[in-house]
Amino acid sequence: MTAAPIAAGGAGHDGEDALLDDAAARDDDPGLAAGKPGQAAWRRHLARRNMTILLAAIAVFALFAVTTSTFLTEFNLANMARNVSLIGIVAVGMTLLFVVGEIDLSVGSLLGLLSICLGIMVADWSVNPWLAAAVVVGLGLLLGLFAGLIRILTNIPSFIVTLALLTAYRSLTLIISGERPRPADPQGSFFDFTGGTVWHLPWLAVWMLAVMAIGGFVLERTRFGYHAYATGGNLRAARQSGIRTDQVKLMSFGITGALVGFAAALLFGYLHVAEPTSGTGFEFRVIGAVVVGGCALTGGQGTIFGTLIGTLIIGMITTGMVLLGFSQNVGDVANGALIIGVGTIDLLLRRASRRHG
Amino acid sequence: MPQDMREAASVADGGVAGATADPTTRPYLSARGLSKRFAHVVALADVDLDVFEGEILALVGDNGAGKSTLIKILSGVYQPDRGEISIGGRPARLADPQQARALGIATVFQDLALVDMRDVAANLFLGREPVKWRWFVDRAAMLAEAGRTLADLRVRMPSLTVEVGQLSGGQRQSVAIGRAISQRGRIIIMDEPTAALGVQESRKVLDLILRLRESGAGVLVISHNMRQVFSIADRIAVMRHGRQVGVRRRDETTPDEIVKMIVGVGVA
Repeated sequence: MTAAPIAAGGAGHDGEDALLDDAAARDDDPGLAAGKPGQAAWRRHLARRNMTILLAAIAVFALFAVTTSTFLTEFNLANMARNVSLIGIVAVGMTLLFVVGEIDLSVGSLLGLLSICLGIMVADWSVNPWLAAAVVVGLGLLLGLFAGLIRILTNIPSFIVTLALLTAYRSLTLIISGERPRPADPQGSFFDFTGGTVWHLPWLAVWMLAVMAIGGFVLERTRFGYHAYATGGNLRAARQSGIRTDQVKLMSFGITGALVGFAAALLFGYLHVAEPTSGTGFEFRVIGAVVVGGCALTGGQGTIFGTLIGTLIIGMITTGMVLLGFSQNVGDVANGALIIGVGTIDLLLRRASRRHG
Repeated sequence: MPQDMREAASVADGGVAGATADPTTRPYLSARGLSKRFAHVVALADVDLDVFEGEILALVGDNGAGKSTLIKILSGVYQPDRGEISIGGRPARLADPQQARALGIATVFQDLALVDMRDVAANLFLGREPVKWRWFVDRAAMLAEAGRTLADLRVRMPSLTVEVGQLSGGQRQSVAIGRAISQRGRIIIMDEPTAALGVQESRKVLDLILRLRESGAGVLVISHNMRQVFSIADRIAVMRHGRQVGVRRRDETTPDEIVKMIVGVGVA
């Protein structure tokens, strides 16, 4: 799965470490080491955290499988996979933003705006859906860069900038759609590769896994990823080291916007209709997923593997509560409680780890 | 090797080392007439300073004497209002720290500029990660190079993949110094490297500074600790009220004289 390129970080380099310790041991210099254990408490904590939320995800899955008769049906699992996928794709961008120390609250409204744009192009103007999807991804990229540009040029916190955009995009969506949905005639390859399935697996889930694999690789193995962690971890140090932190942040906003465009295309592809209200509350689920997955608002932290698990938990709770007979609103209350709980536990763990480290 | 090490250690403990700065060679870093004011406050007035390769030059002075402003100018963080800097015999304008680094002046700031949540290797190569295929970090090369850098400095780390937030103060200092070295710094500037450290760790960092000199680098170090200054420095430059009021060779002065220069009594 996507975990492979991400989890490899620590374990693979024991060889070098052993060599290094040997070289140091040959000198009879007392050295600078105060005899710390070979593995960092923080890394252990991180691994433990990933294990814990993985177990939590399995527990949530088991809970709904036992308490409802419909949870384990192929219909529900496929449906849930689709919901999870849209959250997960955008959560990759949100992880990147959290890592660089930013946030984007406008992803839900942007999802609505972009899917209406797509609906108008396909339904009203008979544009080829593949082409329209490409346009929407490009538009998402531009609007993401726009948000990032405002953030960087004005130095207004991204929380405020994107809160303003959240409202603006939603209103804009209602205006240009005339508050009417745009249904599509689901004919052609576009609808097969978005709403369809491959060996019982929804295409949406395949796309999400692809985006996560690429996102994880970019974050863990590329220069851009290293610079992203440095930017969010210590902005001043990153700048002093010659990292173009503004550029890194701008790209993170742009990538997130493009991923929202991609999610909008997939949403349209499987619903066969563009709704002016779609994406309402979506930003909440995406941010919830990355926070449960281990991202911190303070920046410099977060992994795609964590985000994947966080997405699964949030997605399962959202659909599972509905299956239990509650409204989606109750599911969101449960998710809210979960986020506060996870945030508190993280804070306590971090304090404890600092005290011992 | 071990023999040198013991000597170095004994020097750090307060022994005597021969001054290695040769006055006949040209200074690698040379500043003339540096002045800087912030609004109405004159931070630096007409300061001259030379730093040679292979020497340890201590910069001492009271709080507010202009030491930090001076090293920030020399490391490219601030630009002087007046005055000239020459590096390796050539006049230089330092617009930012990267430019200073490119010319062989590397600075270890007091806050160390480390990213706590990243590992030792990532911090050693912050902003200049070795890459393959242009975009991808060459992790193997990075770890090998990091191991070599720390081995050269005889610094021991629990691991290259441990987050620096988990390291002790002295180890963190070593990572910051290692980064300055691996950027091929000919002159390493340090702002109170032992201020936050205990006795043991301070001694290790002082050993490290002595090894930097052995390796041929020049070290400009701000310190408040007169005992440390006299145990490691070849020369001592004193700042008072934004002026450089004198430079003394360590073996031709006494702590008493330096303290008098710092507070401005009894000497010209």
